[in-house]
Amino acid sequence: MASTKTKDRPKPFLFPEFCKACGRCISSCPKHCIAMGTEINPATGYTPVVLDLEVCNGCGLCLSACPEPYGLMATPTEVDFEPLDPEMLFGARKTAAPTPVTIPDERVPLPELEPMILKGNHASAVGALLAGCRHFFGYPITPSTEGAELLARLLPQLDGVFLQAVSEVATVNMMYGCGGAGRRCMTFTSSPGFSLMLEGISYMIGAEIPGVFFNVMRGGPGLGNIGPEQGDIKLACRGLGHGNTHAPVLAPSTPQEMLDLTMVAFDLAFEYRNPVVLVSDGFLGQMTGRVRLPSYMVKPGLPDWAVYGDEMHRGNLHTSILLIEPDLEAHNVHLNEKYDRLTQNEQRAELFRCDDADWVIVACNTPARMAEGAIQVLRDRGIKVGLFRPITLWPFPIDALLPVIERASGLIMVEAGAGQLEDELRLAASHAGIAAMPPIDRLRHFGGVLPQQHEIVEKITALAGE
Amino acid sequence: MSSVFYERFERHAHGEGLKGHSTHYCPGCGHGLIHKYLGEAIDELGVQDRTVAISPVGCAVFMYYYLDVGNSQAAHGRAPAVAVGHKMANPEAIVVSYQGDGDLAAIGLAEIIQATQLGLPMTFIFVNNAIYGMTGGQLAPTTLMEQRTTTSPTGRNRLMGEPIKMAETIGQLDGPVYVERCALFDNKQRTRAKKAIKKALQLQVEKRGLAFVEILSECPTHLKLTPNEAEQWVKENMVPVFPLGVKKDEETEPWFEMSKPKFDAESVVEVIGSSSEPAHRFGKGFPSHIKEKDVSIKFAGAGGDGAQTIALLTTRTAINEGFDSTHIPSYGPESRGGTSYADVHIATQEVLSPASPEPHILVAFNPPSLEKFGPDVQPGGIVIYDSSVIPNPPELDPSIKMVGVPCAQIASDLGKVMVKNVVALGAMQAATELFPKESFLSTMREALKDQCALLALNEQAFEWGGKAYEEATNGAGA
Repeated sequence: MASTKTKDRPKPFLFPEFCKACGRCISSCPKHCIAMGTEINPATGYTPVVLDLEVCNGCGLCLSACPEPYGLMATPTEVDFEPLDPEMLFGARKTAAPTPVTIPDERVPLPELEPMILKGNHASAVGALLAGCRHFFGYPITPSTEGAELLARLLPQLDGVFLQAVSEVATVNMMYGCGGAGRRCMTFTSSPGFSLMLEGISYMIGAEIPGVFFNVMRGGPGLGNIGPEQGDIKLACRGLGHGNTHAPVLAPSTPQEMLDLTMVAFDLAFEYRNPVVLVSDGFLGQMTGRVRLPSYMVKPGLPDWAVYGDEMHRGNLHTSILLIEPDLEAHNVHLNEKYDRLTQNEQRAELFRCDDADWVIVACNTPARMAEGAIQVLRDRGIKVGLFRPITLWPFPIDALLPVIERASGLIMVEAGAGQLEDELRLAASHAGIAAMPPIDRLRHFGGVLPQQHEIVEKITALAGE
Repeated sequence: MSSVFYERFERHAHGEGLKGHSTHYCPGCGHGLIHKYLGEAIDELGVQDRTVAISPVGCAVFMYYYLDVGNSQAAHGRAPAVAVGHKMANPEAIVVSYQGDGDLAAIGLAEIIQATQLGLPMTFIFVNNAIYGMTGGQLAPTTLMEQRTTTSPTGRNRLMGEPIKMAETIGQLDGPVYVERCALFDNKQRTRAKKAIKKALQLQVEKRGLAFVEILSECPTHLKLTPNEAEQWVKENMVPVFPLGVKKDEETEPWFEMSKPKFDAESVVEVIGSSSEPAHRFGKGFPSHIKEKDVSIKFAGAGGDGAQTIALLTTRTAINEGFDSTHIPSYGPESRGGTSYADVHIATQEVLSPASPEPHILVAFNPPSLEKFGPDVQPGGIVIYDSSVIPNPPELDPSIKMVGVPCAQIASDLGKVMVKNVVALGAMQAATELFPKESFLSTMREALKDQCALLALNEQAFEWGGKAYEEATNGAGA
């Protein structure tokens, strides 16, 4: 700098309409070249400063004192000094952000592998690794910790990242960042922790950022207990934070499904650019069973919308704030279209012995397995019972239920909760315009108590006897 | 003019009219200056393409209108967590977390402490203007004592707590390598602030460490002062409470390297521990002598009795033999000392219900377990109980085979009372002939392959359990 002669140093230049008349530059100038103006600029309503550069030595202090990016600027050397369009005046960009291109995911074939013996939560963790998840963020909470513990051990071996956050609130926001960078990330949590994540999930839905949330539901409300419950179906299906939010909600019922549906969850999350919620109960998370491995694993690419921190993705933005009302309305219309697509394309259910069933149990997670046991006993007694097991709780698989309810004498909702699955069924049936529902009966337990097989048997035996 | 600013602020009211080239900040606001210094630093260090800027909630929520870099807008207080997510996703990204005082020092305290303590090379910029701007001039965590705000209308008093000094707080953590507090109220301070921001970014670019720069900034609008008066106010009122200067500046070498995650099938298969080798089968078939299609077992004891371990060994043995099997544990509230029981099912095809409310086989380690679950055992079932702690078993259905084995006593004689569960397992195998002895032993060897020292003892315990069963039944028959 010492070698730069005073006359070579650029003097300031100002477009009056970009001056907000804060006057910071006035006190910054050692030569007193700048003064507050007296004329109101009709475009802005401010009285911009005026420059008298006769004694200006180009020290540049005023440039560093002006808070406006297009306020005081160094006089361009190669441009004729007329008030031109600033875009022309300040020259072409050094580089323009390129148009990003999606690098597609790859399916890598796996050798034929023997079934593994895995605990439900572990099966989900293995599913995550096979789905190409190499980033885990989470906060320990019983009864979901095993999944995180396994990933804490395995992820570093694959040069992945396991990060224990300071809270569930921090967790979901780390996922916002990591998912926003286009990476496949997930968390394991349980009910109270899931409550804490809901705000962040709303932001992820708003900004269309994928991520997989595994909620091993426990007894509530409040601290409740660590027993198995299905008390968060309402939250997952209807209450994902504030605003117009939905996410696919998957409900596994075996260790095998814990793995399979975790893989599905990642695919859905990235296909629809949306968080996906898996809900299981504590019982299922702790259940060890035989798990077959898929024939492939996923090597994720990088989506065009990622804010990855490289040249290709420089032009990208993730935000959920849209201050102009019609803009936010249009965004909600776009989200609704996504929800409609999900509702049309992603309903999943399993029908167990429903073909000839007079009585149909509706249940998911572990209660569905209790129901399968009960059905075996009831069938032995000649009572025709089937199970309708929603695998997606949202969108509720109403299309698959329609033929079932046409012939059934009654539905029996079996829930470890206060009827949140029944509410989803009734809402879906109502939206589907079903006028005549068969009678709905119910067997419910709460607080970590699961409906037992013999109770289901007794309930349906009584119903069938009537 | 830094080229890091967009040519036109398209995102600001669609870039129409003046808004295409003006910020949304009030006249004299410090944010514009800080954006400018940040933009210049990004430009000078040549990292525009790699930069991800995290916009906070607060007046700087729209930082992404201006900076032509990757942008991510965070929830209130969570910018540091979002920033960590970005850095972990791409360690080569230059991540800048930018927050105001409400965002960083009130709602987001936990996140900023964790993120700075992580110590990854990242850049944190904290704009402290002692007031909430966006929401309209309320009390901030950094509002000065006696300062009037809309929620401290007669001035901040002791009941509202003291202003928090973040640079000092962060400066005493081990995570960051560089912490400085700067200001904007005159040329000298602005030069320092600019330098500090560049240094904070450079430390990240050079992979040396985490930097935190607090900047005392003016909010003329909510201080109800002119921009010049606001500069004076910061100088005279804020600086005595928030002293300027370097709080921490450690010499560090570049250190931060993270390998790219592995996605090759070989590594993944190895890491998840799966195998193409089928397990050896010792059995001749399903234990249908107990039940045709689905055998249900319950193991019950106190926490620490080892019921879960042998339940899991049973499940593994069954799956190795080619059947479906499930194990579900149920613990009392505490890991040890409470009740602990495990339900196991073994099915020819698929286990339907995994619970064992009416088991075919019960293994009980203490009197309460036997009293609780004994009456639920199916007629014709088998009960194995630890006769060293249950001298007087309750009367159960006469069709039930009762097998008392002194598990704890045998284990204690073997030198380790812990293996009483394996004694019980040996007894159960002998009593039920669920699967051959070799099948259980093979599962046990697999489970203990990393703890060979324990294997011999466990094998012995298993053998002794079987022998004790023979003795018990012979004794009963005699």
